[in-house]
Amino acid sequence: MKLSKVFINGILNENPTFRLVLGMCPTLALTTAAINGIGMGLATTFVLVGSNLVICLLKDFIPSKVRIPAYVVIIATFVTIVDMIMQAFVPALYESLGIYIPLIVVNCIILARAESFASKNSVLPSIVDGLGMGAGFTLALLLLGSIREILGAGTWFGMPVAPGFSPAVIMILPPGGFITLGLVLGLLNKLTGKTEQL
Amino acid sequence: MSDYVKMSLKLFIITALAALALGITYAVTKEPIEQQKEQAGIEARRAVLSDAQQFVAVDIELYKNEYPGIVEVYEGRAGDTEVGYVFRILSKGYGGNIELYVGLNTSEGKVAGITIASHSETPGLGANAAEPEFLSRFYDKPIDKPLAVVTGDSGKADEVEAITGATITSKAVVDGVNDAISLYNQVLKDGGEAR
Repeated sequence: MKLSKVFINGILNENPTFRLVLGMCPTLALTTAAINGIGMGLATTFVLVGSNLVICLLKDFIPSKVRIPAYVVIIATFVTIVDMIMQAFVPALYESLGIYIPLIVVNCIILARAESFASKNSVLPSIVDGLGMGAGFTLALLLLGSIREILGAGTWFGMPVAPGFSPAVIMILPPGGFITLGLVLGLLNKLTGKTEQL
Repeated sequence: MSDYVKMSLKLFIITALAALALGITYAVTKEPIEQQKEQAGIEARRAVLSDAQQFVAVDIELYKNEYPGIVEVYEGRAGDTEVGYVFRILSKGYGGNIELYVGLNTSEGKVAGITIASHSETPGLGANAAEPEFLSRFYDKPIDKPLAVVTGDSGKADEVEAITGATITSKAVVDGVNDAISLYNQVLKDGGEAR
C-alpha cells in the first residue's frame, strides 16, 4: 500500500469515529467545544504515532499469545511518560492538553491500530497510519465539537456566531452528544451509500 | 511448557523495561513538575491579591476540623505591612470539588480577587462560574460578615447574584468565599495566627 493511501485511509475509509466507531467515550464526553476536539485530537495523534512506532519495532519480540497485555503495558507507559514530560517541560501545552492525556489510555483506537496495523507493517507505514488515524480522529472531533458548540453555546472557538441567537444548552450536555453523533453518522452513511439493510 | 516460560519471561521483560522507563522519567521530571506547580501557585496568589509582594504561609492545622475546605492560607505582605490573605479552598460543587483562590484585602476590608483553578462543573452552565463575568461579582464585597447568594438582581452590598441555571455551583463558590471570610474574622483578624 502506498503511504498516501495509508494516510487518506485514516481520514476517510477507516475514519476512527465515523467508520470504525471506536473511542466513543472521549468523543461524546469532550466534544462540547471545537477547541476541545482539536486538543484531544492532537494529543491522541501524538500517542498514536508513538505507540505505533514502538509496537512496530517490537512486533517480532512480542509473543502473539500475550500481545494484548504487552500492547496495553506499552501504551500505558508511553502515555504516562508523555504526560510527565509535558507537565515538566512544556507547562503551557500541558495546561491545554493535559486533561486529555490520561483519557487516551482508555481510548481503544490506540489498541486497535496497534493490533490491526502496527503489528503487521513496517516502521514508515505504521507512523503514517498513526498520523492518518490521528488526523481523522481530530477532524471528526472538530466537526462534532463545532456543531455542538455552535448550537449549544452560540459560539465557535469561543467567538459568538450570530447576534440574537439563543443557544440550546442540551446540545453541550451529554444527550446533545448522542444526538449529534447519531445524526452525523446517519447523514454520512446516507451520503456515502453505506447503509446496510437490517 | 517451555513456550509458557518463554512467554512469561518476555512479558516480564516488557513490564520490567516499562517500569524502568517510568521510574527514570519520574525521577527526571519530579523536580521540574514541583517547580511548575509552585510557580502556578505563586501566580494564582498574585492574581487574587495584587497589592502583596511576598506571600508567607500561615499554619492552619488547628482549624482543619472547623474548616475542612481550606487547604492553604498565605499572608500577603508589601514590605513590612500586612495587606491581606490568600486562601486556597476546595468547595463541593455540582460535579465535584471546585478549587478556588480567594484574596481578601484586609486593610480595606474587602474581597480583592477570586479565581477558579480547577472545577468539573457542567459546560455551558456551572462552568460559566470560572468566567470573569461571574467572578467579578465578588470584587470589593465587604468581608465583615458572610456573603449571601441571591437569584435575580442583587441590591445589597453583601449579596452575590447567582448564575442562571447554576445555583448549586454559585452557592459552592460563595460558600468557599464565606469559609475564607469567617476564618479571617474568627482567627486571623485578631492576630491569632497559630504560626
